[in-house]
Amino acid sequence: MNLSDLSTPTRDYSYAFLDAFAKRELRRRILKAIAIPGYQVPYASRELPIARGWGTGGLQVSLSLVGPQDTIKVIDQGDDQSVNAANLRRFIARMSGVATTFDTLAATVIQSRHRVPEEILSEGQILVLQVPDPEPLRRATPSMTIAREMHADADYAVMWLNLYEQIVRYGEFTGGASYPVLVHSRYVMSPSPIPRWDNPKLHQAAHLTLLSAGREKRLYAVPPYTDVRPLEFEDVFFKVESQYGRRDRMTGATHKFMDEIAHADGSSTFSLSDTGYQDKLVKRQSGEAVTVGATYYDDHGEFYHAGFLKS
Amino acid sequence: MYVAARGGEEAIQNAETLYRALNGPLSPALVEGIERALPYLVDRVMAEGSLYAPDLAALAIAQTGGDLYEAVLLLRAYRSTVPRLAYAEPLTDADLVVVRRISAAFKDIPGGQVLGPTLDYSHRILNTEALSRDVQPEPPAEAEEPAPRGYFSVADWHRLNGLLAPTAKGEEPVAPGELPDVTRDPIAFPAPRAHRLQSLARAETGGVLALGYASMRGFGLIHPTVNEVRLAYADVRLRHPITGVAFSLGRARISACEVVNNMADRLELGFAATLGWNEVKIIAGAMLDMEMDKADAHPAHTEEFVLYHTEAVESSGFCIHYKLPHYVTFNSGLDALRRVLLKRDTEQRKRVIDEPVVVEGEEALA
Repeated sequence: MNLSDLSTPTRDYSYAFLDAFAKRELRRRILKAIAIPGYQVPYASRELPIARGWGTGGLQVSLSLVGPQDTIKVIDQGDDQSVNAANLRRFIARMSGVATTFDTLAATVIQSRHRVPEEILSEGQILVLQVPDPEPLRRATPSMTIAREMHADADYAVMWLNLYEQIVRYGEFTGGASYPVLVHSRYVMSPSPIPRWDNPKLHQAAHLTLLSAGREKRLYAVPPYTDVRPLEFEDVFFKVESQYGRRDRMTGATHKFMDEIAHADGSSTFSLSDTGYQDKLVKRQSGEAVTVGATYYDDHGEFYHAGFLKS
Repeated sequence: MYVAARGGEEAIQNAETLYRALNGPLSPALVEGIERALPYLVDRVMAEGSLYAPDLAALAIAQTGGDLYEAVLLLRAYRSTVPRLAYAEPLTDADLVVVRRISAAFKDIPGGQVLGPTLDYSHRILNTEALSRDVQPEPPAEAEEPAPRGYFSVADWHRLNGLLAPTAKGEEPVAPGELPDVTRDPIAFPAPRAHRLQSLARAETGGVLALGYASMRGFGLIHPTVNEVRLAYADVRLRHPITGVAFSLGRARISACEVVNNMADRLELGFAATLGWNEVKIIAGAMLDMEMDKADAHPAHTEEFVLYHTEAVESSGFCIHYKLPHYVTFNSGLDALRRVLLKRDTEQRKRVIDEPVVVEGEEALA
């Protein structure tokens, strides 16, 4: 044995870019976030070689999680090939040497902006959601200081009032993406700007969800098998986006979240937002052997936790 | 190993190649030229990049074609990879090699008004001669006597005269390693003073000016006087870990500003300092420092508002993130909008059916 066997060769950058102190801090904050579901844990948030607000929060979490044995999937709007997703995936792979995949079932870590995949995630998988604004109370108060006090007091009256006003004025809940949820009956949480279609997927999920806002320096978590309920009334219910009558133009699939493709004549066609899932459906139709996982919503639009979505 | 790659990656690589091709070649001569010819720009990038490294700042400017937000981001990202090896010794006013220090509070001050290098009293005329031939600057006149090593602080004069609260005595100065560090701790409000001053030092010049100017112009509660503006070189002094002997690692250009405000029964001090020479930023910053202490400051001059919104990397990054695709969230919003429209449409139709037919003339009688 000689000295070179015992030492590691010098590198320009630490493994997975972040230095060991930054990773240690992140891992400690992540553990705290898991211990207090839905609670926003402040963290120092290092600058990364991509612009702030472009997924640096999710990226820091992913970089602190991955090891050589991991396989990472990165999506933006459900699409693995979206330019920023491609860039983030390239960076993680370049800095950590992990394998990359488009297949939800093959990934150990999935970093995502604005979507939860359609195939049901399983135990051991980690979903990392990029978060632009971690604060569900932002519209009630732009001040982080006041919002923190409101969370501490579980003072969410203004959120309920806001929902009530929507009903009075418009007869409907008017919230789009980032629909607020109550986690473990304690903290109101922004699920990040995932469509409402994806909110129920966080409820009693087998996987771990980590949400991280690099610019705002907050991270929070939904541990596996945790209650995540959308804010709704006993008699007026939260509704997911209607996918009624929408068919994927490539595979004919229905009852999944669809991207609306606008045409010059004012009409629209539709395409599956989850392109990894779409790829597999295409392959299956062309006779290739491919494992398509069970999906959160079945072919009739029924959610897999029966009765969770009320109508 | 399976590597997922398709159209997206090729497109982004081509886009970057095109950008670099349009910006032209990089060379040591270009980087050196920028460092030598554009010191104020280099200063600004170092301050906002929170890293004193003139050569790297010049490289960042060259590499980004002078896009300052990108240049600052490059330095900040590089900074994330550099380990923290040691903490420098604290400096006092007296330790600075001052090249310019002026006070607006007194006609003359102990040690004198030292104009130093400035354009303040110059005619801002484009030197068009330089478009057609080399123009050499005139050599500066030699001083009659050498400048003193340190200058008396104007704030100390106020303290001697009982106008300004004395600095806390008997308290041990905080060890540098124990100082709250805004790059290592998340900021919470009210912020520790260290976080506030560090944030202002790193803040984007334009942002500090915009908020500071709003305060000066009339949205602020205070009308302070510039007590002292200093441009200086600061020795970065370290103690040798074994011998304990202090030595200098080199000098950094720094600037600092104090403003004082007359509070009827006392003077009050605002302070800002930054890496590099940037007078606009430190004057606006010192005014904001003072303003942010006020109980009923304008919302745009509260500490949380100022420190969050003058952050160079976060503000510029978030601004350009709007270019990213948002079609899922937009579609989610459209779904909610269509529900409301559908409901309104249905209700209107119902109302038309439910409402009794109004015979002409009946309305006038009712």
